Amino acid sequence: MPITEANLMNKEKARKIIRDVYREGRQTLSEYESKQVLAAYDIPVTREILVTHQSDLEKAVQEIGFPLVMKGCTPEIAHKTEKGLVHMDIRTVREAKKVGREMMSKITGFQGGILIQEMIQGRRELVMGMTRDAQFGPCVMFGLGGIFTEILNDVAFRHAPLSKSEAFDMMQDIRGHKILEDVRGMAAANRQILADMLIKLSLIGIDISEIQEIDLNPVIICDSRPVVVDALLVLKNG
Amino acid sequence: MSRLPEKDRRTNNPPVDYERIFHPRRIAIIGVSSEESGAGFGTAILKSITAMGYAGEMIPVNPKGGTINQLTIYKNVEDIPGEIDFAIIAVAARYVPDVLESCRKKGAAGAEIISSGFSELNTREGNELEQQVKEIAAKGIRVVGPNCFGIYCPASGLTLLPGPDLSRESGPVAFLAQSGGMSIDFAHAGKWMGIRFSKMVSFGNGADLRETDFLRYFKDDPETKVISMYVEGIRDGELFFREIKAAAAEKPVIVFKGGLSSAGARAVASHTASMGGSRVIWKSILRQVNATQVYDHLEMAQACLAFALLPPKVFANITVVGGGGAIGVAACDLAEMYGMDIPPLADSLQKRIDGYLPKPGSSATNPIDVANPYVPPSYLKEVLIAAAEDQRIDLQIIVSLLHHYKSVAQMFNKTVAEITPYKELAQAVRDAVDKTGKPVIAVLSNPKRCVDDLDIMEMVALTRKEFVDRGIPVFDELHDAIRALAHVNAYYGGKSHE
Repeated sequence: MPITEANLMNKEKARKIIRDVYREGRQTLSEYESKQVLAAYDIPVTREILVTHQSDLEKAVQEIGFPLVMKGCTPEIAHKTEKGLVHMDIRTVREAKKVGREMMSKITGFQGGILIQEMIQGRRELVMGMTRDAQFGPCVMFGLGGIFTEILNDVAFRHAPLSKSEAFDMMQDIRGHKILEDVRGMAAANRQILADMLIKLSLIGIDISEIQEIDLNPVIICDSRPVVVDALLVLKNG
Repeated sequence: MSRLPEKDRRTNNPPVDYERIFHPRRIAIIGVSSEESGAGFGTAILKSITAMGYAGEMIPVNPKGGTINQLTIYKNVEDIPGEIDFAIIAVAARYVPDVLESCRKKGAAGAEIISSGFSELNTREGNELEQQVKEIAAKGIRVVGPNCFGIYCPASGLTLLPGPDLSRESGPVAFLAQSGGMSIDFAHAGKWMGIRFSKMVSFGNGADLRETDFLRYFKDDPETKVISMYVEGIRDGELFFREIKAAAAEKPVIVFKGGLSSAGARAVASHTASMGGSRVIWKSILRQVNATQVYDHLEMAQACLAFALLPPKVFANITVVGGGGAIGVAACDLAEMYGMDIPPLADSLQKRIDGYLPKPGSSATNPIDVANPYVPPSYLKEVLIAAAEDQRIDLQIIVSLLHHYKSVAQMFNKTVAEITPYKELAQAVRDAVDKTGKPVIAVLSNPKRCVDDLDIMEMVALTRKEFVDRGIPVFDELHDAIRALAHVNAYYGGKSHE
């Protein structure tokens, strides 16, 4: 990949986010921050706006459009779903405001806000990630996502950096690789974009040594295009 | 090579003169006891190398002096006249650094340190001694070990400890491992299985030379066509990745990785990290570099045999020739499981093959059921030749159940080895390979292995030797053969799409 000025700028933007997180004494990035790092590397993520005041909610909701997803977004609270901090398929401003009030009360005292996010529709969920293996250094992961990640354990890894053919090979490596084909009336997943995402994850692993782990789960295939719907970045011990 | 290898540029260590290490003309063996004062490791290695018929000069060293095998034992390395190429050091750990330094001054290109008592103890003294070894190595004498069984090189006669009876026949397979036990076991297994080695190294603690160095060396070694290795831990994952990738792009690399325990209790926040246990990461890494991963010693040996004796290509379509319907069914199931095809042969060929088969009960379709185990080798040869005429066929497997000859032997009051036409069979297969240009694998299944059947086991061993001597790979079971073949297919298949 050629080093362009844009690349360098993106890298600098990602680094700034990480510096800020360290400065706040944190090791985990919020979903919003995580996605900003990904977006800096042109990895497709959900369109989303972080709202910190109830008064900004309506504007953000209008901008994202319906249906949408609202998530309580704070690096201090894990397991958002279990704590009632994820609301899917919100279809009106009134509904959004009501959910917003409830959420604000739950996250009062925490850093962050409410993430107003486009709702990505698709039945196929994948997982991607990067981990720094103790022996081999940065390795990229690809596999079945959502609840199947833990149940089926169908994942493949590759050592970074990744070539295009290695990225394609890796997708073919999982047992469930047929999920990427045109099945049950769903279009085939765009493997070019998927490969590109894996390559970029490997570059993040190489570029930014402060990042210990990246977890993109789920990556939803919407028609044929993959979009990162949830993301978690964990930094090394500062 | 004009460019220094990477590690050497990094550490400023001198380049390695592998030629003088693997094929030394003068070896000092330090820690040899004189004839009358018992036998330690030094003595064992001297006697082993002598038994191997090493043609160079061995110079035993021990402060007490004396003689052994009519050789004068020098009291100090310094007393040895002239230069030495290589040193084998088997003295107590605390004396090793001084001895190593003396060998360096004597011009040795390398030394293998058999002695233990270094970092493997994880004591302060052990670690310090190993650090001293490293520092001396960095000055110019490259070290194999300590705490190892050393080098086996059939061409020169260097042998592992204790390996007085290893083969002197050189071949295409190189092996490297930390483990000495694994090395000596593989060397012995290779001898009866028909695997011939170019070089074998047990490097123990790997204070200086280790897996990445030997991978790089074997990659370019013209005597080595197949690299095999047993690995537990690696020192530098990034470097290992680069070296094994480069080596596997050149020639097959077979890896038996020990210690694949899961990340398990590791406290990690993300799926990605928790799923990336040692097992899955190693599997993925080895796939990425197109290395062949095996899961035990036998599978490693079988893969080496297949890579060493078969031509470098993918074998998509095979025939299986054997007696009994169940063997054919099992063959079809195995072939499908490992991604091969056993296609029915062309009608005209089936007709021709049918002419050589006993009736009733035989089938010329493919799998070819020869119905009984007594079909003469000359007929089997014709069957193999005819089947190979089908353009699609890449390779043939012949399954011989020779133990059935025992009952014939009893009828004629002869031994089973006398009655079984195993030499004729091996020659028939060789002739078929020569005539058709298509390789044949022999499977010598033997269900009879009781103490009552030692004569059968002997006959099967003799049969194997006849095949191996003719360059035909032999496996005990059909599954072993097809699995090994699948490894060959995966490697050359992977190579072609790079």
